[in-house]
Amino acid sequence: MVTDNGEYAIETISLTKIFGDWWGRAKVIAVDKLDLKIRHNEIYGLLGPNGSGKTTTLKMLLNLLHPTKGRALVLGGSSRNSRISERIGYLPEDSYLYRYLTARETLDFYGRIFGLPAAVRKSRIDTLLEMVGLTGMANRAVGTYSKGMARRIGLAQALINDPEILILDEPTSGMDPIGTRQMKDLFLQLAKRGKTILLCSHLLADVEDVCDRIGILYGGTMQVEGTVDELLQHRDERQILTGGISDDALEKIGRIIENEDASYTVNSPMDRLEEFFIRTVVSAQEQELPTSGAMSTTGIGGFLTEESDEPGILDQLVTAAADRPSAVEDVEIIATQKPDESTPPQQTDSGLLGKLTQSAAEHIETQIVEKTEPAELEISGAAEIKRDVLNDLLGRNETDQGLTESVEPPKTGDDEDA
Amino acid sequence: MRSVWAVARNTIAQALRMKLAAVVIILLLVILPLMSRIMVGDGKLQGKLQTFISYGMSLMTVLLSILTIAISTYTLSDDIKRKYIFLVVTKPIGRFQIILGKLMGIVTVDFVLLAVFSGIIYVLTLLMFHYTDAPPQEVAQAKNEFFTARLGLTDPEDEDKIEQRAREALDKLESANQMPENMTRMDVLNQLIGHEKIKARSVGIYGKKVWEFENVRVRDPNDTLFVRYKFSVTTQPPDDQVYGLWDIGDKRQIDLAVGEWKTPIVRIPRSSKTRTIAEIQAPAAVIADDGYVAVTFYNTNRNQTTVIPEDVELLFRAGSFTGNYIRAVLLIGFRLIFLAALGVSASTWLSFPVAFLLTGAVFCAGLINGFIIESFGSLGSTVSIFYSLTLRPLVWLLPKLDGPHNPTQFMVFGKLLTWQILVRAFGIMIGLKAVVLTMLGMWIFSNREIAKTVV
Repeated sequence: MVTDNGEYAIETISLTKIFGDWWGRAKVIAVDKLDLKIRHNEIYGLLGPNGSGKTTTLKMLLNLLHPTKGRALVLGGSSRNSRISERIGYLPEDSYLYRYLTARETLDFYGRIFGLPAAVRKSRIDTLLEMVGLTGMANRAVGTYSKGMARRIGLAQALINDPEILILDEPTSGMDPIGTRQMKDLFLQLAKRGKTILLCSHLLADVEDVCDRIGILYGGTMQVEGTVDELLQHRDERQILTGGISDDALEKIGRIIENEDASYTVNSPMDRLEEFFIRTVVSAQEQELPTSGAMSTTGIGGFLTEESDEPGILDQLVTAAADRPSAVEDVEIIATQKPDESTPPQQTDSGLLGKLTQSAAEHIETQIVEKTEPAELEISGAAEIKRDVLNDLLGRNETDQGLTESVEPPKTGDDEDA
Repeated sequence: MRSVWAVARNTIAQALRMKLAAVVIILLLVILPLMSRIMVGDGKLQGKLQTFISYGMSLMTVLLSILTIAISTYTLSDDIKRKYIFLVVTKPIGRFQIILGKLMGIVTVDFVLLAVFSGIIYVLTLLMFHYTDAPPQEVAQAKNEFFTARLGLTDPEDEDKIEQRAREALDKLESANQMPENMTRMDVLNQLIGHEKIKARSVGIYGKKVWEFENVRVRDPNDTLFVRYKFSVTTQPPDDQVYGLWDIGDKRQIDLAVGEWKTPIVRIPRSSKTRTIAEIQAPAAVIADDGYVAVTFYNTNRNQTTVIPEDVELLFRAGSFTGNYIRAVLLIGFRLIFLAALGVSASTWLSFPVAFLLTGAVFCAGLINGFIIESFGSLGSTVSIFYSLTLRPLVWLLPKLDGPHNPTQFMVFGKLLTWQILVRAFGIMIGLKAVVLTMLGMWIFSNREIAKTVV
C-alpha cells in the first residue's frame, strides 16, 4: 500500500545482488550493500565501468531482478505496485521495441497499457513524435529504424505516461550529437517541471552537463557520491580567466591584487568529469577491489598503433571527412519540416520541447516541486567579481577581451542556453 | 481490462506476422476448394460429402492446432528472449494480465481463422450437394444420412448382461481352481467379457437377436428411423453377403398377442456386405407411444453361417446439420483454447523450441489417447500396477481429442453432437485443465526473474 511518495524518490537499502551459476551457486556479486538515496526532483547520474552493477541496480528497482538481500524502493514502495509503476518511465539500455510495430503503434500500445483515454493518447503520441523528430516516419516499422531513431522512440514511450520518475539506462547511446543535445535539454526541462531522473550513462559529458548529483559504482559498491561541483572542484586553488592581455596588464593586475585586496573573475579550476571518472576507476583497480566487469585500460591494441607508409583507414576517414562540404550532412534528420531560417535551431527545439512540457491543450496533473537550481560556484565576498575594476584597468569592455570565451555556459537549462 | 486487450491486440499483430500463419492461411485457402473438386469417396454423393468434410475438418483442425501451438509457445518466450517484455512488465500491468492478454490474443486469432475456414468448408459442402449430378436416390440418402444430426442409441442392457455373465464365468473358474497362470483376475475377466460379447452377439442359422430401445423421441412423426450395423461371420460366405431379415417396431404387441396393433411393425429383408457399415430405414411411426422400439434380426438359412451383428445403433433425427456443424466447430475451438493455455503456460518457463516440442507432444498424445489407454490396459500385471499408479493420472490430464471427442466423426456420420457433450468438453478441457495450466503459468511468470542471468 502506497501512502505517500516516500522520503526519497528512489532509495535502496543495503541492496545486494549475487548472480549464481546453473546450479544456483553464488558466482558474481553484481551489487553489494548499495545504499542509494535520490531525492525528489533531482537528476542523479549513476556511473561506472562495464559490469559495475549499474544496470543490475536499475533492474532491481524495476523488479526485473529480485534482490538477493536488501530493498529497492521507488516512491516509497515496490515498483511492482501498479500505482507506483504508472508514475515511472523507463528506457532500458537497448530500446527493446517490437520490431513489427510502427512508431505510432508502439506508442499507442504503451499508452493503452497505461490506460490512457484515446483522445489523450492521440494527443500525446503526436506531441511525442514531433518532439523526437519522427513524425514523418511514424508509420514505418520500428525494426527498420537506426539505433538512434529507436532510442528516440524508446524515450518517447518512457514519457507517454508523463512520469514522475524517469529511469534511463544509456539514454543517448547511438544518438547523434544534436539528438543528444536535445535529450539533455529535455532532461533539464523535465527536472524544472519537478521530475526525478535517474540516469545511467557511459557518456560522462552528458552526465556532467545535466546531473545534480552523481555516484560512481565499481564492483557493485559506491565509490564516491556527491554533486558535480563537490566532486570536481579544486577548492584549494584559484584561477583568473582573462582574454589575451599583455604582460603589462598582467603586471597591473598583480599589483592591484597585492595593493587593492580586490577580487575578480575567480573560478575554481575544474577537471573534466571524464578524468575524474577514470581516476576513480584506476584508483579502485589499484586497490584490487573485486569486480565482475571489464577492466579499464588506456592502451590500444598493438595492430592499431603500428606505423605504416600506407594511409590507414582512420587517416582515409579523416581526409574524407575534411573534404566534405559540411558535417551537417552526416547528422540524422530529426525534423521533417524546414525550420524558419530566421529562427535559430535552438528555438525550434525549444518549441518542440515546450509542447511536451508546457502543453496547454492537455492538462497534465503533476505536482510541481520547487526545482533546486544546480549548485553555482560560491564566491566569497572577497573573491566576488568586480568586472568594472578589471575593465577600467584594461580600458576595454568584456566582450572585446573575450573574457567569457572560456567560461562554460551557466547550467540553467534554458533553451537559449542550450 | 484495457491493458489486457492492449497485450491481446499486440499478440494478434505478432501472430499474423508469423510466416507460419501465412502458410496455414494460404494452404487452407488453396487446398479446401481443391479438395471439394477432387474428393470422390466411394463414388456416391454421400461418400464424396463424407470424405470432403472428414478431410477438410481434419486438415483445418490439425493446421490450426499447429499454428496455435506455435503462436502460444512463441509469443511470450520471444518477448522474454528479445527483452521486449522489459518495457511491458515495468508498466502498470500485472503479470497475470500479460498472460491473460496473450491468451486472449491467441484465442481471438484462432476463432477468427476457425470461423473463416469452417465457413468455407460449410459453404463448399452445400455447393457440392446443390451442384451435383447424382441420381435422386443418392441425393435422398445424403439428405437423410449426412445433412442431418441424428441421435444414436445403443441397447443399454447389453454391456451389463455381458459383464454379469463374464463374472459368473470367472467365479466358476475360481471355484474350480482353474484360473490360468500368469494372468491377473482382471485380465481373465477382460478376456471373458470379450468371449461373452461375441457369444451374446452371435446369431446362429434360424436364430434371432433383439435390441430394445427406450425413450426414442423424434421431432417429427413423419421422420425416418435408421438402424446402423456391421456384420461379422464365423464362415465367410462365397459372395461376401449376409442375407438378413429385420423387424422394427413395438414387438411387445406380438409378445402379448394384442388384438389390433397400435403401431406398425415393419419387416425389411436386406443383404449386406460383411465388415461394412450399413443402414436400414423405417418410418418413425413404428415407435410406441412410450418411446419403445425393438429391432429384431433374423439369420436366414441362406447364410449357412453364424452371423455376428456389431455396433448396432438406432438413429433418428434430433437436430439440424447446421446446428451440429456449429457445435462441432465449437468443440474444435475448445481444443485450440486448451492448446493455447498449454503453450503459453509452457513458455513462461521454457524457451520456444522446448515449449513447442512439449506442447506438440501433448497434442499428439491427446490424438491417440484412447490407443495409449488400451495399450497400457493389456500390459502384464506388474506393469499394470505401475501404470495405474504413475502414468494413468498423467494420461487423465492429457486432452482427449480422439474417439467420441473427435468432432469430425459426428459430422461424417451425421450423428448429433449434443449440447451436453459440448458443455462437458468445455468443463473438462477448459474449465478444469486449461484453467489449471493457465494459473500455473501465471504463478511461474509472476515469480520468475524476467532479467535473470546465469553466470
